[in-house]
Amino acid sequence: MLGDSRKAQEVFHTTLREAALRAAEGELPKEPFWLFHDARWRCLEATKTDLQPESFEIDEHEIDPGAASQIEQLDPAQLAIWISAAPDPQRTALALFYLDEFDYTEILEIAELKLTTLSRCLAKGRRQLQAWLDAKHPEQPKL
Amino acid sequence: MKTLRLLRRRRALLNCAPFNHDQLADRSMRSAVSRADSSDEFVNQQNFDRAVAALVRLVPIPAESAEWFSEQDLVVGSKWTWKKMVRNPAVLAISIAVVVIAGVSVFQLLGRLNDFPGSATARKLLAVAASTRPVMLDPVSAEAGTLSDLFFMKHGLEHYDVPDEFADFRTIGCRVFDDEESRRIAQIWLAEKRMQLFLFPAERNMKTGAVLHFPGWRYVHQEGWVGAVTEHSGVCFMAAVRGREKDLEQYIATPKE
Repeated sequence: MLGDSRKAQEVFHTTLREAALRAAEGELPKEPFWLFHDARWRCLEATKTDLQPESFEIDEHEIDPGAASQIEQLDPAQLAIWISAAPDPQRTALALFYLDEFDYTEILEIAELKLTTLSRCLAKGRRQLQAWLDAKHPEQPKL
Repeated sequence: MKTLRLLRRRRALLNCAPFNHDQLADRSMRSAVSRADSSDEFVNQQNFDRAVAALVRLVPIPAESAEWFSEQDLVVGSKWTWKKMVRNPAVLAISIAVVVIAGVSVFQLLGRLNDFPGSATARKLLAVAASTRPVMLDPVSAEAGTLSDLFFMKHGLEHYDVPDEFADFRTIGCRVFDDEESRRIAQIWLAEKRMQLFLFPAERNMKTGAVLHFPGWRYVHQEGWVGAVTEHSGVCFMAAVRGREKDLEQYIATPKE
């Protein structure tokens, strides 16, 4: 979500501290995903003052059958930065989806999205990531 | 229009389809995935998603935060001890119920262990003995053993014989009456310890009509009275006295079975 481990750690600890305080006061919300919901808003708040990505059309390519091998060549930190650079709600959608911890209904609840929006964000994200992969690690032509 | 809406929804679901099939909990998602499972486009998407997720798992987590995701339990739950468990109201209630049920069962089992053919009649006759007054009987002063002839001659009761153990005692009175099942009962009152003797038909097998024999002497108890019962030639004999088994034991020659 943030592409910056220091900021991520800050948000993580603030969220937990706040949760502990609310638990001590017996004011924990009843919604099942309130902690993740809270953490998401803190992430968005933390990046508010950062440089925002310019709004310009990013290339989009259809998913390549050999994309998996292109992804393997990526550095995990690079991928984290690429995701964090996406505008919200695409950033939230990609981060939560690829964490592989939530099903789509849970993501809709945490990110407060509609199914069509989540679907559009993910489809667009895949095509843009493919375009970035093609630019960064062009697939070797098969002999 | 409806079909178009459905197709759009299915497309939207496929874009959000989990790459891990364990997460296919949603029915509409399962249906959408099963329809598209073999298409090249969907297979590419799934492979793409799996590869990205595998890379996301490799994103380094700062050590301080990683501590929170360790395998160890952060909060150790309080251990259950026997003391705590016993104090639990539910456990307590169930335990009491089980003890009561077990007690009743044991009581009934012990009661059944002492049962023998004719024990129910014998208990009823003990109640009769408790409520009988001497004036209710015909005065007869004789040896108990001699009343067999009286019962046979006057009432036509065969084998209504007083056993040798009680045959020599003097009688005060006797009578013959029918119980609620129209069985002929002979009752003798003795001078000895105000003891009462009963003779009544032994129980029979409901199907064959054969007498249900039992060996030796058996004891029955009812409202402070005790009876020693034996069976001979299809007739049961009971000596009844207010008191305990030991009050009768001294009269019975054969050991208790």
